[in-house]
Amino acid sequence: MVSILAEKGGITRRQFFKGAGVLAVVAVVAGVFAKIGIDMFKVSDDYIAKRAAGLYTLDEKMAIRKSHENPEIIQLYKDFLSPGEVKPMTEKAHHLLHTRYGQDIPALLEELRHYQGEAA
Amino acid sequence: MSDVKGKVLKHGEQTRTMHWLHLICFLILGLTGIGFYWNIGWINDLFGGPANASLVHRWTAVVFTAGPAIYILLNFERFSKFIDTISTFTRDDIQWLKTMGGYIPFLKGKVPPQDKYNAGQKILGWVVILGCLLFILTGFPMWLWRHAVSPAFLDFCYTVHFWDAMIMMLAVLGHFFLAAIHPQSRVEFSSMMLDGYVDAGVTAHHNAKWFANLSKLE
Repeated sequence: MVSILAEKGGITRRQFFKGAGVLAVVAVVAGVFAKIGIDMFKVSDDYIAKRAAGLYTLDEKMAIRKSHENPEIIQLYKDFLSPGEVKPMTEKAHHLLHTRYGQDIPALLEELRHYQGEAA
Repeated sequence: MSDVKGKVLKHGEQTRTMHWLHLICFLILGLTGIGFYWNIGWINDLFGGPANASLVHRWTAVVFTAGPAIYILLNFERFSKFIDTISTFTRDDIQWLKTMGGYIPFLKGKVPPQDKYNAGQKILGWVVILGCLLFILTGFPMWLWRHAVSPAFLDFCYTVHFWDAMIMMLAVLGHFFLAAIHPQSRVEFSSMMLDGYVDAGVTAHHNAKWFANLSKLE
């Protein structure tokens, strides 16, 4: 029969303090790190909330807050984009007010040049 | 080698399970990390693209963190013994380092008796503990607080995480070579990867100090 050897059970006081000590150090380091991170998160959240509140306050103080109630926009539609009436999404409004990006920019510039004569 | 007969139970079931779990997690974390750090297409594709590789990396990190934490809580006695062993450096350990345990042919000298872990394994133990802590402390802020912390701190986390990964990968490669390939040390391979046992003669030779304090199980 093959004899099997193994470690004795139980731990010494020194082993307990070393194990507990390492766990305690890890817990403290992780705790401090987490506290710093959570505080940073709160500061960031506070900033976002204040920034949003500032933007809403500025918006509330504006005399004209909706583009469809802006007299200049209404006039633009009456005079040019939908002559004689205020009618959004006309062919001309669609082409002039919807911008394009990247490789589509040269075609957009060409289109704007086409309408330039009319605007003048 | 000693003529002692029998077997020694070196690593229990839970220790071996935890080691396997950590090994699998480390491989997934290393592979996904390399994949999306250097944007290597075929590695990312193994996980369904870079975005999914990143997702797999983060959730594997949760298992990588929780696995050992649960193991320690369930096996505090084993953990305490491990910490005690790797934090005890005697003249024998210094002498082992001077001769590198006899593994390097041109370093001559008598190899002193060792504890359950030799001096090299003790150093690796600390490298793994500190390396994993750095991974956790820099990794989770990169995931959970990236929109809240300053860019400078985030950059610091990325840099530390990267170099930690490089050092840990080299350390694990060295550990793999000695544990699975080197003919003198691979005799202990099955003790961690399979049944937990090592030949008593091998243990009496490699870990004489520890062997002297073992007791008969049956």
